[in-house]
Amino acid sequence: MSEHASPALTVEGLSAGYGRFEVIHDITLSVAKGQAVALLGPNGAGKTTVLRAIMGMLRHRRGSVIVDGTDITAMPPHRVARGHVALVPEGRRLFLGQTVEDNLRLGGLHLRHDKERTEALLRSVFELFPVVERYRSRPVTAMSGGEQQMVAIGRMMMSAPSLMLLDEPSLGLAPLAIQGMADALGALRERGQSILLVEQRVDLALQVCDHVYVLSGGRIVRQSDAASVDAQGRELIDAYLG
Amino acid sequence: MLQVLLSGLATGAVYGLVAMAFAVVFYVTKVINFATGQLLMVSIMTVSGLSAIGVPVWLSIVAGIALSTGFGVAIYYGAVAPVLKVDRTGFGWLVSTLGVAIVLASVAAMIFGPTSRAFPALLYHHSIRLFGTSTTWQEMLAVIVAAVVLVAFEVFRTRTLFGKVGMAISGDPEMATAVGANATAYAVIAFAIGGLLAGVAGVLVGPITFANPYLGDTYGIAGFIALMIGGIDKPAAAMGGGVLLGVLSVVANTYINSQASDWFPFVVVVAVLLIAPHGLFASGNLFARWLGRGRRSAELALPAVRS
Repeated sequence: MSEHASPALTVEGLSAGYGRFEVIHDITLSVAKGQAVALLGPNGAGKTTVLRAIMGMLRHRRGSVIVDGTDITAMPPHRVARGHVALVPEGRRLFLGQTVEDNLRLGGLHLRHDKERTEALLRSVFELFPVVERYRSRPVTAMSGGEQQMVAIGRMMMSAPSLMLLDEPSLGLAPLAIQGMADALGALRERGQSILLVEQRVDLALQVCDHVYVLSGGRIVRQSDAASVDAQGRELIDAYLG
Repeated sequence: MLQVLLSGLATGAVYGLVAMAFAVVFYVTKVINFATGQLLMVSIMTVSGLSAIGVPVWLSIVAGIALSTGFGVAIYYGAVAPVLKVDRTGFGWLVSTLGVAIVLASVAAMIFGPTSRAFPALLYHHSIRLFGTSTTWQEMLAVIVAAVVLVAFEVFRTRTLFGKVGMAISGDPEMATAVGANATAYAVIAFAIGGLLAGVAGVLVGPITFANPYLGDTYGIAGFIALMIGGIDKPAAAMGGGVLLGVLSVVANTYINSQASDWFPFVVVVAVLLIAPHGLFASGNLFARWLGRGRRSAELALPAVRS
């Protein structure tokens, strides 16, 4: 139970949106250290908005975000990115026109003066994704979607974050690439990495995660341990996802 | 003909530096600083004014370039950042930087008077014979400085982590911020580099034009046209556009008539925009494809579709 004493992420009463339009209302959720948590929900439920709000890319209306004991509620995103939270956004958004290795090194920007740490992180990325090491000096645009997703996850690993956020990493990938990505997330969790995963594919979320939240209409409508989601619970989640 | 080409290169080098001043700012912030020409004027008027009251020439040059650099940063904080804060995707900067340009020219005219003043000759009276033609060292200096600036900037942009962060901000500012890049700091640096390049261009051209508070308009427009000819997506392309514009202007003056450089560049711009809407040296257009770089550019334009 000690791991629950200092959660990787505590979000309390978070509301945020764009302009005058509030998208997420009163979101409360937590990720224990070393846990993988899924945020499920249909299109337009506000899943991406939750991640953007945690990252500091949206101004919060109300609520607080605490990562590993540090209150990051009012922190600008470029400081949140320095070891607190890292993000694989929807569509990966790699830095096009730059090589695979450049993309990885840009992920570890705040550790640039710590050469040893940077090299060790780079090695751990290559260990997890050998194909990335093989293509390290190629432009990212020369890689397949699945390989690009590996680079995006690697870029996130390079900042050694307390918490990893992934926004629909399975979107647009071939089945084999999806399984590879799920295995990689499993491996990261094995290493004690805390993860918040936004997914539309319930099977994938249940395979990788310990706990699931269901978001609908900008509110958390259901939560459950992944292990206790039986066939009936699964049906209920599917109903929410439409 | 060689004489014309050489003279055009020198003029083009100055246009190119001003175009690069526009382009570096645009590259990082997607803002066009319409007061860029006036930053060139600030450096010219400062050098002229200081050297007139007996300050050593080298010191007034340093002060002139430092002042134009400082004004570049001041324009960001005073006229661009507040506008972007209200609406990040709006075009308010178009009016605010244009306003700064008018104010700078008017204030300079109030301080120095509306007529031209002396500018230190620097290397203008030292001529050099090159391939049977005669040119001045001042013009050669402009070409050399432009070449050094271009190479240094490209090496810095593509070979250092600092430059790669700049490329990342240019391509996807939000994602760059999400990996820890401080986009505001880069914007300030970009405006400073813009001021620096315009200031250097001023020192290079001052001995030829003398010091006039309305010079900013002439060089601002020329730099902007060079930017449009070369392409706005890469600072190096802007320099290419500047050199081409310089050569074409001198050619027009020599072979059409002495007023031709006033209208000829616009004809060139229209022609360029018809053939290559993104500029001659921009990635992914006809000209770039002729140079054999088209395939890579086409790949860049289609990110992440394969899986």
